[in-house]
This record gives sequence, structure tokens and C-alpha cells, in this order.
Amino acid sequence: MNILSFLLILILGLLANDVNAVAYCSLRDPVAQIAQLYPQKTNQLSIVKTVDDNIRAQVQVSLPRNDLHFSELGKHTLYVAMQGKNSLGYVHVRSEQSKWGLVEIVWAIDKDFRITNFAFQRCRSPKKKAAEEQQFRDVFIGKNYQELRELLSTDGVTANKAVQEQAKSAPELANVVLRCALKTLLLTEILWGEELKKY
Amino acid sequence: MRLLLISLLILQCFPCIADFSQNLRWSLDGSARLNYNNALDNTSQIYALGLDTHKVFTGAEGDIGYGVGQVYFTKLANHLPVPFLFDSKDDSDFIIREAHLNYTAGAKWVPNVRVGHFTMPFGLEESIDTNGRLLDYYHGKNLGTKLDWGLSLNKVIGAVEYNVSYTLGGKDKAKSVDGSYALTGRIGSLRHLDFIFGVSFFDGKIDNVSRRRLALDGQYYWQTWGLLAELAIGEDDRLGQGWKTEKYSLVELNKTFINEQLKLYGQLIVRDKEMQLNTDKQINIGLSFQMSTQLELSLSGRQQLNTPAAGKKQQLLRMQIRYRY
Repeated sequence: MNILSFLLILILGLLANDVNAVAYCSLRDPVAQIAQLYPQKTNQLSIVKTVDDNIRAQVQVSLPRNDLHFSELGKHTLYVAMQGKNSLGYVHVRSEQSKWGLVEIVWAIDKDFRITNFAFQRCRSPKKKAAEEQQFRDVFIGKNYQELRELLSTDGVTANKAVQEQAKSAPELANVVLRCALKTLLLTEILWGEELKKY
Repeated sequence: MRLLLISLLILQCFPCIADFSQNLRWSLDGSARLNYNNALDNTSQIYALGLDTHKVFTGAEGDIGYGVGQVYFTKLANHLPVPFLFDSKDDSDFIIREAHLNYTAGAKWVPNVRVGHFTMPFGLEESIDTNGRLLDYYHGKNLGTKLDWGLSLNKVIGAVEYNVSYTLGGKDKAKSVDGSYALTGRIGSLRHLDFIFGVSFFDGKIDNVSRRRLALDGQYYWQTWGLLAELAIGEDDRLGQGWKTEKYSLVELNKTFINEQLKLYGQLIVRDKEMQLNTDKQINIGLSFQMSTQLELSLSGRQQLNTPAAGKKQQLLRMQIRYRY
């Protein structure tokens, strides 16, 4: 490679922005979690989009008092779970800050943008087991963005009393999961909605 | 290299990848590193500017595979000892870090196939990427190189992931040099879990040193704390002088703050070589502060605990600013 071709690559690189903080060689697809959420899937289809400052502002308008963590900006992948050439649904991984560090949740979403299931990719809360119980999961499963939004209390960042009661010993985690679900569905529709009509 | 180009041509034959910019990530990655080596009483710098790319290839039935390409223009300034990739302490060169394709479209039990220049699958480094960072798990010192050209079979199956590679042992050269080769592999639990356990092996000949290794690695995360360990035992045969045992162990305690911007770590490394009188012991402490999505500041300090047979105790201070655009 000569200097000119390298400079050309660098100039092209300048057109890019909103990068991830980590080197791309460390990127891994959540194949185990996708298989857990869609056991019948034969493959997944990646669709990469950019979460930029404009998208971040839209989230802040739709969900006042909420923001995206800096690691949530940049290029992100939404997966279509495939069985042969047929789409089974979508998988979207999102992170939410908590007092135990980032909680990463793998969301399974149907074609009507309703939550069908979820799995924790990373959750270091001591109450994780409570959040994995079916009673807790049922709070989110089957709901779309509008229905989940009604579960927010008036402060806009915590879950309402009914959800807190369902969460038993893990009310803090219920707040985190709810915020993550809302942002995930919002971003899925804003960024990937048009393209997902094909699947 | 030839194998990589052929693979790229094969992938180009798929009509579904006509739009190359689709599912493409790229970023400009620049860093400046300042090193102070007290034993040599030497201050040096390493500057790197490069392009980091990641591309997913997709078809009608899903992903076919992905490619990673990282090329960096790297400049040394008074850097001693001179790294093997360079000719002098002030040398500069284009360096290929990772450059590989991973075919992932095989059926459930069929392994993914990676071809190109990649980090050899061994120990903690397999699940924690350290390329371009001050954090290090001493892959290169333990195996003879960190990255090599070759082929690997890898897959996540149920609760297990594995990665086995055969590489040419030429390090930055895509060929075997003086009969060099490396067979490396790791099998472990899934890397996103709070408790991760892995077993690795290595059998190779690099730079005329034959090495055999067997290693265990583990990671345990509790809230914002992480405890990591790696133990490797094996033997080296330098230039046919006979096999000598080698032991390497690392323990790391790290803390990640809840906003993920600040990470602290401390490591204790013990290296015991049969051909060496003293057991090498060193501690590393470091931090990484992610000032924004793009800008990262890292600091690290290394102190050798034992007195070496010759020369001063190793003391190394490093600082790095890294910007990804």
C-alpha cells in the first residue's frame, strides 16, 4: 500500500462519525442469546444503523428525563432471526446504566414491535434471579411502546407501583428493564422501522 | 495473504453484497503513547494512525460472514527495545493488525471458518481484546506472537464456545518461516456470563523456538468488580537445545465504575522458567478513562518485584491518548 492510497482511506474515514469506543475486532454477535430467544432459528440477518445525536435528541423528546448512555451511540446492529428465508422476529440488544454498571438486555420483538421475550446478556445485580422469573417477565411480554410507556410513573424514569409490586424484591431492576425496553422499541421503530418492513 | 484475497473474491461473487457500504463500520483510530522505561533510563513515544473496519456480509437467508480489517501507520520515537516489526528505534511502517474473514453461514453444528491475520485463541485474550490498549495479557511473550496468519474453526454451541486455529508462525508475514507453525485452541463457557472458564492449548514453532502450552483461564464478575486469572504451563525448546519447563500465571482484580467511563485494574504476574535462576514477578496497575465515545485516556505502571540476574528491575510508566473518529 502506498502513501496515496492510505491517505485516500483516511479521507474516507473522516466521513465516518459516531464510532464505537471499542475496536471492531472485539465485536461479537449474541448468537447464543438469539438461539435462546428463537430456538427454531437457522441464522440471523444483521442490519447495522447509526445512533447519532439527532436520534439521541428524539429519544430525549419522546422520553423526557431519559438519555442514551454514550456506549449506545454509534453503529449498532439489529438482528432478524431467520428460519430459512422466513423471518421469525427481531432481536435488539440495548444497555441501560444501573448502580451495578451497565445492564445489557437482548430483546425479542415481533413484527408489530411488541416485546415477545428477553434475556440478560449482562446483569450484575444481586436481584437478577428475581428479574428472570416469569411473573416479572410477563410485565413486559406482549406489550408495545405505548403500553409500556403507561407503566412509567409520573417522574418519567421509574416504573409505577403496579410494576414495582410485580417485581417483588427487584424494584430497582424493574426500573432499569422498563427504561431499556422503552428505548429499545423506540429506537427500533425510528431507525430500523422502514427497513424491517421487508422482513 | 493470497488466501485472504481469494476469500474476498469469493464473497464478492455473492450478488447480495453489491452495496458494500451496507453493514459496514469504519473508524479512524489515532493514538499517541508515551513510555518511560526506568531500567533503561529511556523515554519513548509510539504514534499510530489507522483505519479500523468491520463489514457484515448478508444474503437472503441471513448473515454469510464478516470481515475485519485494521491497517495502521505506526511511528516509533526513540523506542527501546526495538519491536520485531521495526528496524530501528525511530522507524515507521504500515502495520496490519487484524485482517480476517469469518464465514458464519454453516448449519448448526458446522464450524465457522476464519481466514487471515488474527489474534491466536488462547487464554484471557480470547475474550478480552487488548489490541491498541495498554492493558495486556502477555500473549506475545507467552506464545511467541499475538497475531498470526492462518485459518481457524470457531463456533458458539449451546453453553460452549470454541476456537481452534492453525497458523503459519510467520507473525506479520503470511508464510511459514524456517518451518514455523502454530496450532492454538481454546474451549470455554460463554463470554457474556458472570463466570467464564476456559481451557487452552498451544503447540508451535515461532522464531526457531518450539513451545507447548496448556492453560486454564477464569473470569468472575461481581457487581462492578472483576477477578481474572490465567495459569499456563508448558515447555520451550530454543534452537534445539532441549525442552525446558515454563510456568506463567496472572491474577487481575479490576473495577469498572457504574457509568463505564473509568476502569481500574491491578495485575500480578509470575513467570517461572527452568532455564532462569530467578522467578520473574511483576505487578501492573492501570486505568482507562473514556472521556467520550471517541476519546480515551489510559495510564499504566509496571514494577518488577524480584531482582533480575542482570540489569535493573523493570519499571515502566506509560500514558496513552486514543481518539476514534
